[in-house]
Amino acid sequence: ATLGSSATDSRGVLDRTRLRELVKEVDQLEQMDDDVEDVLLQVADDFIENVVSSSCQLAKHRRSNTLEAKDVQLYLERCWNMQIPGFGSEEIRP
Amino acid sequence: GAQLRSCKDEVFLAASPLLRKITAIAKKYGVEEVNPAVVSLISHATQERLRDFASKLSIIAEHRVEIYKM
Repeated sequence: ATLGSSATDSRGVLDRTRLRELVKEVDQLEQMDDDVEDVLLQVADDFIENVVSSSCQLAKHRRSNTLEAKDVQLYLERCWNMQIPGFGSEEIRP
Repeated sequence: GAQLRSCKDEVFLAASPLLRKITAIAKKYGVEEVNPAVVSLISHATQERLRDFASKLSIIAEHRVEIYKM
């Protein structure tokens, strides 16, 4: 079943085996219905759409035609309270 | 001095379909190029998002069982 799929193709971006592994990581006893898997795939899809769209607007705002990691990082920090280290913009402290 | 310890960066999402998807969305906003770092950044962020979502679901599911038992 496809829940209102977006214009861009998302099949093949995330496979179900990886998804199941992730859920097992969170809770070893978790049993997941196929429906729930579909919802999680949709959540991933919406998330990517949301983050990329907003980050592109930030890139445009600094008058660039290239989407950079710093655009994505800024959006993730501000709107999702998410910090992903290892992409060069943060200072490395000894 | 500082020691850098790192482990292999495992990518959660399939890189080339993801890049295709990102490029397609970016085009809609007139952004022509995508830095390669963006792909793995988005992959990590999505993994984090799903991990958080799944852990919330697992808590909700436990509560549902609790109520059901009464």
